[in-house]
Amino acid sequence: MNKPSLHPFTWWLWAIGLAVAIVRFDSTWFTLSCVGVVMVVVFTLRDDAPWAKSFDWTLKLSAWILAVRTIVGVAIGVPIPGTELFRLPVLPLPSWMPGIRIGGVVTWERLSSSLTEGLLICSIIVIFGAAASLTSPHRLLRVLPVYIYEFAVAVVIATSVLPQLVSSVKRIRMAQRLRGQNTRGFTSWKRVAIPLLEESLARSLDLAAAMDSRGYGVSKKRSRYRPISWRLKDSLVVISAIGLVVIS
Amino acid sequence: MIKFSNVSLIYPNSTTTVLEDLNLTIAEGEMVLVIGPTGSGKSSLLRLINGLVPHHTGGILAGDVSVNGISTQLTKPGGMAHLIGIVGQNPANSFVADTVEEELAFGMEALNLPNDVMRKRVEEILDLLSLAALRNRSIATLSGGEQQRVAIGAALVTHPKVLVLDEPTSALDPIAAEEVLSILHRLVHDLGLTVVIAEHKLERVIQFADRIVYINGDGAANVGTPEEILMQSPIAPPIVHLARALGMKEIGVTVREMRRMTSEIREIQNSPVDTPAPKRSEAVISIEKLTVSYENKTALNSVSSTIYAGEIVAVMGRNGAGKSSLLKAVAGVNPAQAGLVSLLGHNPFDLHGKNRRETIGFIPQEPSDLLYGQSVKIECEQADRDNQLAEGTTHAVLQQLVPGLSLSTHPRDLSEGQRLGLALSVVMSSNPSVLILDEPTRGLDYQAKNELTRMLITFASTFGKAVLLATHDVELVAELANRVIFIADGDIVADGSTLDVLLSSPAFAPQVAKVMSPQPWLRVKDVVAAIEGMR
Repeated sequence: MNKPSLHPFTWWLWAIGLAVAIVRFDSTWFTLSCVGVVMVVVFTLRDDAPWAKSFDWTLKLSAWILAVRTIVGVAIGVPIPGTELFRLPVLPLPSWMPGIRIGGVVTWERLSSSLTEGLLICSIIVIFGAAASLTSPHRLLRVLPVYIYEFAVAVVIATSVLPQLVSSVKRIRMAQRLRGQNTRGFTSWKRVAIPLLEESLARSLDLAAAMDSRGYGVSKKRSRYRPISWRLKDSLVVISAIGLVVIS
Repeated sequence: MIKFSNVSLIYPNSTTTVLEDLNLTIAEGEMVLVIGPTGSGKSSLLRLINGLVPHHTGGILAGDVSVNGISTQLTKPGGMAHLIGIVGQNPANSFVADTVEEELAFGMEALNLPNDVMRKRVEEILDLLSLAALRNRSIATLSGGEQQRVAIGAALVTHPKVLVLDEPTSALDPIAAEEVLSILHRLVHDLGLTVVIAEHKLERVIQFADRIVYINGDGAANVGTPEEILMQSPIAPPIVHLARALGMKEIGVTVREMRRMTSEIREIQNSPVDTPAPKRSEAVISIEKLTVSYENKTALNSVSSTIYAGEIVAVMGRNGAGKSSLLKAVAGVNPAQAGLVSLLGHNPFDLHGKNRRETIGFIPQEPSDLLYGQSVKIECEQADRDNQLAEGTTHAVLQQLVPGLSLSTHPRDLSEGQRLGLALSVVMSSNPSVLILDEPTRGLDYQAKNELTRMLITFASTFGKAVLLATHDVELVAELANRVIFIADGDIVADGSTLDVLLSSPAFAPQVAKVMSPQPWLRVKDVVAAIEGMR
């Protein structure tokens, strides 16, 4: 926690800026370099809090999405003419589904356009995943204004409970491995998911009850014990993102 | 201060009423203990006080609960925050800040108190609960006892008139529990705070309570002084069972009172302690110079021990001493960094699938981690299939452990004890040579604990299996274990028979031993046997 403690909004604003810039640039190289920078920033600045560790899972998730998106994009959809890479067998579809084709010629253009589109989605996920893992949800709660109280409670529960799920997954998988169960593959996920869902629900309810019984949201004004101030380095981080938006 | 008038509570989709027509007035500065079997509604009663029930959980409430004249029907929990501090069962789930200081300030910030008041009160609470050294620590790095103290501090910081605690010592070792309870005792006496507390481990709290509310689970509730209630109650600490076994007309609830009443019994000269030397048959687990460390922090420092078939070994020690690390190393969670663990000649890390299930059974701290079926029936069938057993074998084991459990129940709807029973029967159906349990008695009432004791003793002695369990519960250890390994800071500091180890440390001595000291009796039945030996 003693690493450079920026304002909780800083990384979120930065992430929004980067996301806007990526969408406006719409260039694969720019997207890739942004993701690279984000990864370097996260791996050097994050501490060992539970939410910080969630970034690894963000990466895994986005890699998975990219893979699925590319396969689906190549196999289904409108054929794009160009250099032929290989040919998939065409799946015959009933006549009431015109214009849709499964399989067929796979061209270099089709592959690359699927990849670019997938990459765009993944980069946005990675960037916001980075903001979530660099910002303590608890500190975020302290700066969110009280009049968006319900929203704030939801944000805090989502951002603090979800990362804790990562450690719960590890614990449950360990327990089941010790029961002699296979913890790899798709079917094992069902076994992990059920105890996991139960636990996260219980945790969220506990947290909401605790916040409620400590008077959160009762008074519309909220005093600050140790105010979190906006400093020069916060401005620098945000300006760097705004700069990118302006250039694009 | 707190007034329950004709309170009835029922949850939708439930056939039993939790409370029926309860009338209870708690005066200022009183310490009231709520007891009852698991799932009887203790937590509901506590949460009624600040209106979390029914505002947060649903449920149909009749009658009225008011605190300091404010009715919970009209006011939401947030509106009572200045009046009531509430500490949940698992404080780690309810922390809303990263550091100790910020956590303490949270409640005051929400109530919009001025900054100078907040600073003064934070200092006051840090001193009161001896948290000053931890003020800038990240909450995630605190031990269980420290977290519990922070949670109490965070509840006290708004200067409430009432403090409500749900099982504040269930996850704590005896020494940390003692610290927390003596702080509460001081608050009641110095500040006139009203405290309502629910707890299973009566031996820890009973001496502090002014009155007891006994909830039966079927809507009935008895209110009275500890002596009145415990005279009849099936839920009673060992000290009361001792008084009953000795046929005493009055019961004492503190060790001091009981010592006064039993001075003649302690005079018995020839105390025949028949501890049959354990038959050291076959070594099941052998641990040699095992070292475990996490991120440069040593959890176990070159420990060695051998555990034999038929033994029930309790691993004790303070929170964070390395108990869980030892169990996990034996269970083979990770390969040993240095040293050797061998289970009947196998390296536990290399055991997989069926082979693993037949060698080792592991019950984690949360037994529900093992369960994923939609009903008890599916869970039992899955275990039969996994172990290629005849259909119904696991269910037969379950019938023995927890009789009369409905097959269609969802595991989530079982009580804590029943769930442990289900997890146990799933694990035991494959007949493992070693059974390992990590903190099995959290949230278990006395009845469930007796069941567990009976099950494990049968398992170990009849079938000649080894049982290894980590626990804070001294009374359980006295009843169950025949050997204790005591760990402090990663080293084994004592390893011997239960009698020797428990009697050598006053903090870890069970109640009966404290009353009967210097006689070497740990359990009620030891005392009875000794008296009968006299006649």
